[in-house]
Amino acid sequence: MNRMVPLAILALAILAFATLMLVIAPAIQIRSEAPTPGLKPYTAQQLRGRTQYVAQGCIYCHSQQPRSIDQAPDAERGWGRASVASDYAYDRPHLLGTMRTGPDLFNVGARLPSRGWHLTHLYQPRAIFGWSIMPAYPYLFERKEHAEPGDVVIILPADRAPKKGVIVAKREALDLVAYLQSLDHTFPAPTRAVRDDGYAEKGEPR
Amino acid sequence: MTLTIGLLLGLSFFASLLALAFLIWAVNNRQLTITQHDAYTIFTEGEAGHPDDATTEGSQDEGGAARAHHFDTERAGIDAISRPAVVTLISSGIAWLAIGSIFGLIASLKLHWPDWLVGEAWLTFGRVRTLHLNMVIYGWLSMTGIGVAMWVAPRIFHTALRYPKLPIIGAILWNVGVAAGAIAIASGWNDGQEWLEIPWQIDILIAIAGSFFVLPLLATAARRHVKHIYVTGWYYIAALCWFPILFFIANIPYIYSGVQEATVNWWFAHNVLGLWLTPLGVGAAYYFIPKIIGKPIYSYSLSLLGFWALALFYSQVGIHHLIGGPVPTWVVTLSIVHSVMMFVPVIAVAINHHVTVARNLWALKASVPLRFISLGAVMYTLASFQGSIEALRSVNSVTHFTQYTVAHAHLGAYGFVSFVMFGAVYHMLPRITGRSWPWPSMIPAHFWLVVVGFAIYFIGLTIGGVLQGFAMLDVARPFSDSVQVVLPYLEIRSLGGAVMVVGHLIFAAHFLAALIQRDAQAPAAQPHDTRSAVST
Amino acid sequence: MESFEPYEEFKPIPLPVLIIAVALALWGVFTLLDNGKAVTVGRAERSDQIADQHANRQNGAELFVSRCATCHQPNGSGVEGAIPPLASSPFLKASPEVAMHILLNGIDGPIRVGDATFEGHMPSFASVLSDADIVRLVTHVRGTFADRHDLLTEGDVATARLLAGRRGAWQGGQEIAARLDASLGPQPPMSSATQAAIDPIAQKLVSQGNGQTWACASCHGMRGQGSASVPRLAGLPAAYIAKQLGDYVTGKRRNETMQLVARTLKPQDMRRIGDYYSVMRAPSNARASLGGDLVRGERLVLDGDWARGLPSCVSCHGPSTFGVAPSFPALSAQHPEYTAAQLTAWVSGTRDNSTGRLMNGIAARLNDADRRAVADYLATLPPVPAPATRGRTNGK
Repeated sequence: MNRMVPLAILALAILAFATLMLVIAPAIQIRSEAPTPGLKPYTAQQLRGRTQYVAQGCIYCHSQQPRSIDQAPDAERGWGRASVASDYAYDRPHLLGTMRTGPDLFNVGARLPSRGWHLTHLYQPRAIFGWSIMPAYPYLFERKEHAEPGDVVIILPADRAPKKGVIVAKREALDLVAYLQSLDHTFPAPTRAVRDDGYAEKGEPR
Repeated sequence: MTLTIGLLLGLSFFASLLALAFLIWAVNNRQLTITQHDAYTIFTEGEAGHPDDATTEGSQDEGGAARAHHFDTERAGIDAISRPAVVTLISSGIAWLAIGSIFGLIASLKLHWPDWLVGEAWLTFGRVRTLHLNMVIYGWLSMTGIGVAMWVAPRIFHTALRYPKLPIIGAILWNVGVAAGAIAIASGWNDGQEWLEIPWQIDILIAIAGSFFVLPLLATAARRHVKHIYVTGWYYIAALCWFPILFFIANIPYIYSGVQEATVNWWFAHNVLGLWLTPLGVGAAYYFIPKIIGKPIYSYSLSLLGFWALALFYSQVGIHHLIGGPVPTWVVTLSIVHSVMMFVPVIAVAINHHVTVARNLWALKASVPLRFISLGAVMYTLASFQGSIEALRSVNSVTHFTQYTVAHAHLGAYGFVSFVMFGAVYHMLPRITGRSWPWPSMIPAHFWLVVVGFAIYFIGLTIGGVLQGFAMLDVARPFSDSVQVVLPYLEIRSLGGAVMVVGHLIFAAHFLAALIQRDAQAPAAQPHDTRSAVST
Repeated sequence: MESFEPYEEFKPIPLPVLIIAVALALWGVFTLLDNGKAVTVGRAERSDQIADQHANRQNGAELFVSRCATCHQPNGSGVEGAIPPLASSPFLKASPEVAMHILLNGIDGPIRVGDATFEGHMPSFASVLSDADIVRLVTHVRGTFADRHDLLTEGDVATARLLAGRRGAWQGGQEIAARLDASLGPQPPMSSATQAAIDPIAQKLVSQGNGQTWACASCHGMRGQGSASVPRLAGLPAAYIAKQLGDYVTGKRRNETMQLVARTLKPQDMRRIGDYYSVMRAPSNARASLGGDLVRGERLVLDGDWARGLPSCVSCHGPSTFGVAPSFPALSAQHPEYTAAQLTAWVSGTRDNSTGRLMNGIAARLNDADRRAVADYLATLPPVPAPATRGRTNGK
């Protein structure tokens, strides 16, 4: 350990090896997967909504990767079947998430399909769930005296409604909800799909 | 495909094991030409055996600082060259700590006061939390870590810092980059991946700034005045080679997508901790612990094992963040196995650090910086053990997606790296300014505030996270249970966090006072002979 | 100052560290070797799920026993006055497309078989049987009961399936004869009495809401078919739906969203919505998705498990779990996430409104695997056909 260049070269070689294993090899395997049959590319509006999802930092409380029923009861909570690599073929950036301060959202479009519900919930989550700790997003909405043609007026319980006028959704909110509604992966996963099967129940497949 | 992957997988792990076995054989058969004597590299002649500390109560008297400096005559010249760069970097780092931890506290409070500060987009939880992370990682820890390295590296290499102006330019650019990144995040423009939020356009600036740090340090190492590279130097050289590559590869735009991008994301994010912050922290601890105590580390051969095993195993643990996710089984298993193998380097480093301190417990009483640093070293051991256990599939099922992970991340980045940096700054600044700290009683105050605050933070959030995880795994309990059960612990976390922030503000104010004090009075300790130190 | 401690010049790596390293390495090798097996099991589970969704492992005779014999009887004799016989049925003697179209769409109207007229309430099996299943089943049934052996192809079924989703059930034998095969002979006309009158007020409530809450259809779908944890409402008993809405208000049944909705509804609204959904027909969009064991699920649904004190589902919810008005809802074609969530809700107490609190005890005796098995199996059953009492609950 008296020479710097061999030290640096060895250190870099180890990192190169790690990069091969963790970046390049998985890339080759995942890229060879075709999108899951039934998966649709995002529309322009859904993509704008996805940008909102990133900008507001939804990812820090919501995952998009239901676990297998062998590991956790995600499917029974309505969060959907265990996701596989090819379900994310159109995702850029990936939004897998690592926290579940709120529920997983990979199938929120299937289990909560109502646009009106989502708008209310974004404006004030505690209007629906008293226990919720999700931030309210009033800045995605505006208050108007009267709704104009084309405005989407949100439904609020009497104790949350403004004293005067109506609350209408801004375009950002409508886009975000369009993205959430698009999160519906209720089609089956291919048999050979790629995912972490490390929790698959040991023993004979039934 | 299965066969090839299985083969690749096996080969990879066997390669690591083989390298480890070879290393152990080489160390035990003295094939590597290092000896315990090399551990004395950090001392000047006659210095070993004497504690070196300028913050102890005993040294606050008139002769204290002078006595410490008595052993640093040669280095005083070295220190003077790196002083402007070190001061710039560390003061920037501390500024980011103050701002970043306030954002952390706001984010923490918002989790249990969800209707607080919701009117403005930039104050929403998702952005405030992200500002906190980026400020403390890229602002506080990275800049302070580099600043400490700028001060330590010339000392272990027995020569002055090369290109000492470059780091100052680098620090300015880096500050601009982190600030621009923060503004981008606050305004809703980010790259969408954890730890990689700063837009890649701004990352270019940060990368350029980084090269202004790497170049002087590597040049200094290359032209050292001592044959042996002290263990701290291994960590620094390796980290300086690793981080630019990590940062560059992970930030390449447009080429990644979907789950494949997620593997790049976590390969990067964990390596920021493992191959960047950890070497900066462990390297600093390897210097300061023996330096303050005045005795070499316990076993120099163990430090070799600790270093190379860290490189071999830490570099492949990242995918344990995606356990149970939509990534190939083999890459998850590979990361789990490597995570568990991390016990080896951590035990090696732990023996070295803790035995050295345990044999000299008197020094803990005498030196607050040593208290910070050796407590930081203990937290490194704990955080690493915890991380290895957390990577086990059975444990991960409970802790993944919960606040437990947040507590763990803070044990590593705060309990370990930040504590080491606190201690390093307390040790270094009197030597940089040539004066004692102006308010010595504020140092233990800072120590106890962050220790107590962090204990509240960590214990509370860990318990809360486990309860949250069990609630989520129990299908008979609605999801709302997992939210309600963790809520009191989020409040406890805010309490602990607030105490920590008070500690940080005291630290920042004290640091500022120490700097202003220097400007008010002419520096007392001018280098005796600068030329002899820099001549090559 | 402390005195200088003597250090050895050289220390080998301590033995305990070596032992730990070797032990961890062995564990690592073992774990990696285990990896391949996990992938095999995972694939088998996914392939089972796909197979479950298409039930394509049964031959024609087995399909007949599991899907048809409950009503049409194992010997195809039917039930006098209620279920038409298959033996010598003109519908089977006709071209194979007739049986295929009936299986895909179901029948909702009177048909004549031999000398008897039956009020037809056959469910659609489109969601239950794959193209190949239908070919096997039609071939078996026509060969066995009508001695006809001309073949149907999977392509024919696939083409017909595209239309089936759009057109709904056949409105009695007359429509089948007119559209598919005139050789069926004279068939009874659709009587206007069975034609449900659509309640415009209910329709507005369902599709647009009442201005104070979200429209029912925005979650439950325009055809009341639901998805994932949103239940299918089409074909549930009217009184059952109205009671649930009332129970949300009183808190006997808890669900934050539905409690908000129900509080905005007047009792007469609740009855109107119940009536509206009770006569609604929608193809099934449910499928087994919890990884439950369908064989076990079928046994629990049809026979129960008396060793564990579990009665069969059909004993209360009626044959084929099509429901028994007013109190027992249809379970067939319900989304398994919803069914499973209700079964856990009976245990946790967030739902406590079943007749005689029967469900509390039953649900408590189901373990995780059984709950998933039952929920998944119910999802594979055909949706409830037209209720015999339709139109009457409107009170007109």
